[in-house]
Amino acid sequence: MPSLVRSKLGLLAMLVVGLALVAPAGALAAYGGFQPQHAHSPNVEHINVAYWVIFGFTTVIFLVVMATLVTFIVKYRSRGRARTVEGVQVHGNTQLELIWTVAPVIILALIGTMIFFLLPKITPPAKAAGTLEITVEGHQFYWQFNYPNGARTINTLYVPVDRDVRFKVISGDVVHSFWVPQLQGKIQAIPGRINHTGFRADKVGTYQGYCGLICGPFHAKMLLTVKVTDDASYASTLAANSTRKVLGRTEFQGVCATCHGMQGQGGYGPALANNSILAQKSALEAIVRNGRGLMPPVGNTWTDEQINALAQYTKTHVYKGASTSGG
Amino acid sequence: MAVRSEAVYPVSWRNGRVAKWLVTVDHKKIGIMYIATSLLFFVGGGVMALLMRAQLATPNEKFLTENSYNQVLTFHGTSMIFLVLVPIMAGFGNFLVPLMIGARDMAFPRLNAFSYWMFLLGGIVLYMSWFSAGGAAHAGWWSYPPLSENLPFTSPGNGQDYWILSLHLLSISSLVGAINFVVTIHNMRARGMTWMRMPLFVWAMEAYSILLIVALPAISAGVTMLLLDRHGLTHFFLPSQGGSVVLYQHVFWFFGHPEVYIMVIPVFGMISEIIPVFARKPIFGYKAVAFSTLGIAFYSLLVWAHHMFTTGLGTGLDSFFMISSMVIAVPTGVKIFNWVATTWRANIQFDSPMLFALGFLALFTMGGLSGIFLAAFPVDWQVNDTYYVVAHFHYVLFGGSVFGLFGGLHYWWPKMFGRMLDERLAKVTFWLMFVGFNATFLPQHMLGLLGMVRRIYTYNHGGLWETYNLISTIGSGIMALSILVFFINVLRTQFLRHGIRSGNDPWLADTLEWYTASPPPDHNFDTVPYVTSARPLRDLRRRLAEAEA
Repeated sequence: MPSLVRSKLGLLAMLVVGLALVAPAGALAAYGGFQPQHAHSPNVEHINVAYWVIFGFTTVIFLVVMATLVTFIVKYRSRGRARTVEGVQVHGNTQLELIWTVAPVIILALIGTMIFFLLPKITPPAKAAGTLEITVEGHQFYWQFNYPNGARTINTLYVPVDRDVRFKVISGDVVHSFWVPQLQGKIQAIPGRINHTGFRADKVGTYQGYCGLICGPFHAKMLLTVKVTDDASYASTLAANSTRKVLGRTEFQGVCATCHGMQGQGGYGPALANNSILAQKSALEAIVRNGRGLMPPVGNTWTDEQINALAQYTKTHVYKGASTSGG
Repeated sequence: MAVRSEAVYPVSWRNGRVAKWLVTVDHKKIGIMYIATSLLFFVGGGVMALLMRAQLATPNEKFLTENSYNQVLTFHGTSMIFLVLVPIMAGFGNFLVPLMIGARDMAFPRLNAFSYWMFLLGGIVLYMSWFSAGGAAHAGWWSYPPLSENLPFTSPGNGQDYWILSLHLLSISSLVGAINFVVTIHNMRARGMTWMRMPLFVWAMEAYSILLIVALPAISAGVTMLLLDRHGLTHFFLPSQGGSVVLYQHVFWFFGHPEVYIMVIPVFGMISEIIPVFARKPIFGYKAVAFSTLGIAFYSLLVWAHHMFTTGLGTGLDSFFMISSMVIAVPTGVKIFNWVATTWRANIQFDSPMLFALGFLALFTMGGLSGIFLAAFPVDWQVNDTYYVVAHFHYVLFGGSVFGLFGGLHYWWPKMFGRMLDERLAKVTFWLMFVGFNATFLPQHMLGLLGMVRRIYTYNHGGLWETYNLISTIGSGIMALSILVFFINVLRTQFLRHGIRSGNDPWLADTLEWYTASPPPDHNFDTVPYVTSARPLRDLRRRLAEAEA
């Protein structure tokens, strides 16, 4: 728009406003402000590329629009002119309007093309011969992970580093959303439906995951941890963390304790430390599998081994405060 | 011979101070009742927002319980959308459309009164949810099943039923109102007012009404299916019996996305009225602004599944909805550029309506641009369902709609009540709201990127999470203060009668509503001038000036 830049005042105002807006934005970006999640998988890495490209385009558009607006506001303010004084009576300009219709089309086409270009690198790994496939179950209010060798873990997901892992995402009750920000985007866990996602973690470490979708009172507590181990020790780490003893403990602490308290002292749900059901496997199984009243059927997908592990843990560690150390 | 009229025509009880409002079929009174009721619910929804912000101010806060937090968030969303933003547009439309097109009233005055009373009833039924067995509805304003189903561990009791019945009543209210608007706009325009001479706010109300007529049946059907499910008659959304959860998501968002535009298109119309009047210029590109409204309305029906990118619809559908969502940015951009261009070589008067309109321009641009991130579906997989989305839609619905509405309130207040709101207090309202708004919602973009998901009642992260949440809570307090200042202004102007009398046309505006007295008499106009352009009042002023010269 030559009419805008013609005046030195306009140019100056644009520069000042532009700098004023860019400086704090840059500072914030450096301190975790506008910066997306630090990527630890190719999926998220390329989503971040898409994010920064869109950020570039939108920031430029925002600055241009705001600079123009502020310039006009400053330059064409009334300066004491009466309300009866009219501005220039222009009704439009077809050429100009065509430009600002076509320019966004081009920018959006570029963004869209970029997305399709990046998509193959963002899409979760496809099923191949060596792919590890783990089932992710969303439940009120915990995550369960079923491994191909039959092992099961609660709220902690073990995966090997630098290997394609595919997830079959299902739900045992309401809709949840499985999300590990640094490793993979959200996918809903929907009852009656199977969704797929996956990632290849590039670094050994621990990553935080969340449930993205409101699923009941403890939506906020439906957290998960992803432990990425090196490929060699993956099998042994998983085995060590899915023994009956550990399984029973994580089941109680990750599933029951959300409502009943870490020592079964009660909370949102009733106290159960002195309830003899804890020591009777069949009664415990009935409640855990079918729910009761407000209690969801938390264990509706559990194996007998899982029930045994829980029964053993509650009997020895929770019932009558048998032990509070948590094994 | 003089006859004492009181003796011959006794004053009816219908003319009583309160009764005349209760029995009215006058579009102006109905419009004002709509706006007043919506503002009441706005305060209610706002208090719930403050409760949520108090709970989230610091990590592991114990201000609200997990259950009441979910109830409060459900009622904040449902109130603000169904009891504030949709009906307040109907309120402005009711007051303004007949006046702007030079009509005596709406086409169906009794139906119009019916539509207001259904709205009030719908609001009351919604709030009865709090007193029902099992507590208030707590499944969010989307009410996705199975969480909203009548299972013992999801939404037992009648809270959710009240929510559904309330939506039924509100749908009937809006549907009836929308039909009334369409009939009025098509048939009752003043002589000479062709489609291309119609005020842009009337164009916007036309688009608003068409969208309501097209989109509302979907939600009515959706919540009816949910109601039948809840009472054991069907299992549309119960997967254990062959139902489909994703079906509800489609039905809900087929309504839900047009709904977003229903809440903002009338504000586009208000902005298109306010900016030219205070710039002392005609709108830049009248046709582009009018047709882009229709374009947005049309495309808004084709973008619903961009709310469902994490549902797992597959690359094909995701791509279609990404492209259609990006397409809708084009007419929106056209509007913003045209509004900015309207201020070029203008004589800008900085009265409070203009401040709100300019604030709208800045904040709505921001909200529109953050929407492009969400349209790109892989990026959406990361930011969907986080506070980034919360920030985005508050920039659109508060930074956009509410700022525009406050501009409209300050602009048309003298026409509605004959008195000017205090300009100083109005400017304080604006600046408090502008600062408070940005303090509340700008940090929420960052919170979303940091991984804070929506609708959580607590978090245990310190550091940046805590800082941004605290800033956000402080900002919400500043916003609450701005609303308080507005109500003090109303009290001072209207009830303490400090507001100065405005006369017919205090802003030297362009459209027909300023031709009649303020407030307008029951019959609106003694005469309606022949309309020769989109700015009939400016034409009149010029003719008068020429006659004097």
